[in-house]
Amino acid sequence: MATSPNPFIQADGKKPTCLEMLQLIVDDQATEEQRVYFKQHMDHCLPCYKEYNVDLAIRELLKAKCCGGGCPEDIVNQIKSKIKTISA
Amino acid sequence: MESASEEYTARQHYTESEKQTIFNDEFMPHIHSMYNFGYRLTLDRDDAKDLVQDTFLKAYRFVESFQKGTNAKAWLFRILKNSFINDYRKKSKEPNKVDYQEVETYYNSEDVDRQITPDLRVESLKDMMGDEISNALNALDVDFRTVIILCDLEGFKYEEMAKILDIPIGTVRSRLHRARNLLKEKLKSYAKTMGYNNA
Ligand SMILES: [Zn+2]
Repeated sequence: MATSPNPFIQADGKKPTCLEMLQLIVDDQATEEQRVYFKQHMDHCLPCYKEYNVDLAIRELLKAKCCGGGCPEDIVNQIKSKIKTISA
Repeated sequence: MESASEEYTARQHYTESEKQTIFNDEFMPHIHSMYNFGYRLTLDRDDAKDLVQDTFLKAYRFVESFQKGTNAKAWLFRILKNSFINDYRKKSKEPNKVDYQEVETYYNSEDVDRQITPDLRVESLKDMMGDEISNALNALDVDFRTVIILCDLEGFKYEEMAKILDIPIGTVRSRLHRARNLLKEKLKSYAKTMGYNNA
């Protein structure tokens, strides 16, 4: 038990569920070691494999469609001129 | 990373030109992320502009609370989020209650694995080329929307999100989990509609 190779196991020794592992991966908070382990885990866990790919597709959609296209140029100038009057 | 929690403490001493350098080199590069965050919070481009402007003016005024070279992005996001809560939300009186009780109990449940039920298909997501995802995100309660933006669009770590939002890391995690499920529910209903259209 103590020499388990699962890098998701916390200090308290509790075995992580699929969902807990998946969340660390999907939230992009996993270590490199954990990512490698999870990749192997997906080879024999179909629910994780499916859910991971759905989550990945959603993340890609979010990045492609919800980044707003940048702020209007005039904000930058307005901020800079206000700063000038403050610091003058 | 530490600076976010010490917004108004641990004063630094900067010359006028140092202040300008910090402002231009460390703060301004984040203006587009800040604007998007402001827009996703308020869902209004003018309000987002005001919020961003307000945030940068505060950042300048309190620049001596910021330690040069630390996590400017998290520091700025925290200021914006606080301005949103203190000024904007109060003004608009947007009712905002997330059932945190329900969220917190999630990790204690025994059969969490049962919750992995992928009935949303990658193929249907690939067909969502329009505003579906943006509409789905905007339809979420602002607290759920916020964690998705911070995590997926801005790439913040749990610890940074906890500091920006002033909540424990465990709450960040459970809120993210709940937010993703709600987002999937919305997308699932869009996928259904699209399926009918294609049939
Ligand atoms: Zn699994």
